[in-house]
Amino acid sequence: MMKGKKKFIAGTAAVAEAAMLANVDVISAYPIRPYTGLMVDLSKKVADGKLDAEFVHADSEHSQLSIVHGASASGARTMTGSAGVGVTYAFETYSPISGGRCPVQMVVADRTLDPPGDFGSEHSDVLCARDQGWIMGWAETPQEAFDNTLIYYRLGEDQRVSLPQFNCQDGYFVSHIPGEVVVPEKSQVAEFLPPYKLAKPLDPRKPYGHGPQIFSDQGPALQLQRAIVMNQAKEIIPEVLSDFNKVFGRKYDSYIENYNPNDADVCLFVNGAHSQTVRYAIANLKAQGVNVALCRIRFVRPWATEEIAEVLSQYKAVGVVETNNSFGVAGQAGVFTPEVAATLYSLPENKRPMLMSFMAGLSGEVIRLNDIYFMAKKLVQAADRKKIEKPVYWIGFEEN
Amino acid sequence: MADSKTTSQVKEVTIWASGVIQDAEGRDTVNCIAAAASKEGKYVQAFDNYIDLPDRVNVPVRKYARISSEEIQEKYLYENEHPNMVVVVEPSLIKGFNILRGMLKGGMLVVNTGKEPEELLKFLPNKELLAAVATIDASKVAEALVDDFMDIEGAAAGVLGRGIGAALAGAVAKVSGYFGLESLKEVVQNTDAAEKGFNNVKIKIL
Amino acid sequence: MSLPNISKEKQLPEGCIVDSPTTEQDHMTTGGWRVLRSVIDYGKCTKCKTCWISCPDAAIKVDENGDVNINLKYCKGCGICASVCPVGAIARIPELDFEDVSVYRELPF
Repeated sequence: MMKGKKKFIAGTAAVAEAAMLANVDVISAYPIRPYTGLMVDLSKKVADGKLDAEFVHADSEHSQLSIVHGASASGARTMTGSAGVGVTYAFETYSPISGGRCPVQMVVADRTLDPPGDFGSEHSDVLCARDQGWIMGWAETPQEAFDNTLIYYRLGEDQRVSLPQFNCQDGYFVSHIPGEVVVPEKSQVAEFLPPYKLAKPLDPRKPYGHGPQIFSDQGPALQLQRAIVMNQAKEIIPEVLSDFNKVFGRKYDSYIENYNPNDADVCLFVNGAHSQTVRYAIANLKAQGVNVALCRIRFVRPWATEEIAEVLSQYKAVGVVETNNSFGVAGQAGVFTPEVAATLYSLPENKRPMLMSFMAGLSGEVIRLNDIYFMAKKLVQAADRKKIEKPVYWIGFEEN
Repeated sequence: MADSKTTSQVKEVTIWASGVIQDAEGRDTVNCIAAAASKEGKYVQAFDNYIDLPDRVNVPVRKYARISSEEIQEKYLYENEHPNMVVVVEPSLIKGFNILRGMLKGGMLVVNTGKEPEELLKFLPNKELLAAVATIDASKVAEALVDDFMDIEGAAAGVLGRGIGAALAGAVAKVSGYFGLESLKEVVQNTDAAEKGFNNVKIKIL
Repeated sequence: MSLPNISKEKQLPEGCIVDSPTTEQDHMTTGGWRVLRSVIDYGKCTKCKTCWISCPDAAIKVDENGDVNINLKYCKGCGICASVCPVGAIARIPELDFEDVSVYRELPF
């Protein structure tokens, strides 16, 4: 089932290959490092005739999103992308696109938000749009970036869902460092991903109105509708992933990956590329008699509270690795700590693990094996003493 | 916990090149090195330095290759902290920059120039780090690619080893022994340049 | 809950607001980029100052005698001065032919 060519390419090139195989119709481009390589690659494919698409060079990120909003509402499969402050530039458009149910795909290669200018990867740029009703998830390797492109199109364009998606990857770590990617054949992709069919496309022959004015008492039903649809997306994720496995032979966990080869009773909750280093650290730590597991979140939105709670409940302590900022947030760590805390709060008290946070990899700094050993030791210490030493650690600034 | 450099067997190759003009060739060299070593069953990485803003003509840019017989554990580093081998595609760069920065004693240097290795020693204030200096006139054995902008910013690599990248990779093979000429000739297009790079490199053991 | 201290080596100015140079930016010397060095033949130079005004990096200075001097700490060797000189007084010679080193940096930036 693993047919296809093996290529040694980086994350952005992998997404471009997937977009070509998915036969994207409209692409809107605006350069910003580190996702620019995607648009460079796509523009060459369109120019060479390998991909039949409309390539629009927008004049800003806000325009990029507006262009694909219109294109998607007319029935075209769309792709756009950005990074860092580009994602926040387009902020106004996120809610209209998700509320208008246009399944746009936005490929984001993370970059720290200004100030100052810093190309390193931090997840804050996309995470600050987590309330806007988009499907959101991170890729750990270029292969997963390729796969996520197809999975998100299938999931977002499903008639029961029809939601836009953030297809995210760490800037530089995944977007610029090449890895092995198995690129399948077009026939396999056609088997997995049906053509895009919108229920009510914009068409002058049969007009529809998007976003009319309503009264406050009509609104709550609309918001509940959006919540129901996001929940629907969560329900059909396992179905989509099992189809993916049948066609391409690669298996992915639905909501959270539970990697526990050494039967540890503490785990690190990680998002994105740094999970790669954690896997090696787990193997190295076993030799030292320290056992830790990896729980890698696969879908940040929709957040599958019950399923994630069930996975985390088997551990005595959970260490959330935050590569993002949320200054002044509850818990004084980052974005994931309050979310994980709410998840754990749904468990009965006697099954609730201890919670700690590690601010690591900020501003794109490398998380080294030694840092992960430090985090694992703190977790094991907390599990042994049955209490945490302190709730938040800033890696690189702690005194030992 | 022991330093990962001393316990691991990762061989680090750093390429210094001139921005825009030699950007594609620099990347081609590391891709050829990585592909050849990978043919021999080694674990490899090949990527650009992320901090160099490469879109300026003549700015120094760096490319990295890493070769190891075991799986490379710290994949996500920004640069080669302790290069074993440094290749300089634009020879004037050895005057203005500490190209051997981070090298531990016993490293190697290959410079793309027609000069003899002895002539370059006067420009290297830290030459005691080197075990060998070598020169190869790569432009004599192949045409340098200039207009290939496809490979910028992480976009997919095209055909390997069309220009001086193949010759430089051949020189690296001879001086370092990290991979063989036969493996290199399997992956590059310009096998003639690879072979000439391998045979014509002038090495001075220090 | 108290947050950790930031050590002296890691500390940056508040808001990352840094001093700005008035004439030269010592942190960004670009002389190392040079492949060909521009050398002025003062025997031919007519002090017309065309090179001074054409240099895109303002790396040519005029001294009190009216002579032009190339600032080798910054000159990138673009060669514009050599091509605009009306009397051909500027030659471009490979940098490696000169033993003196104008800029030596630990890091490119």
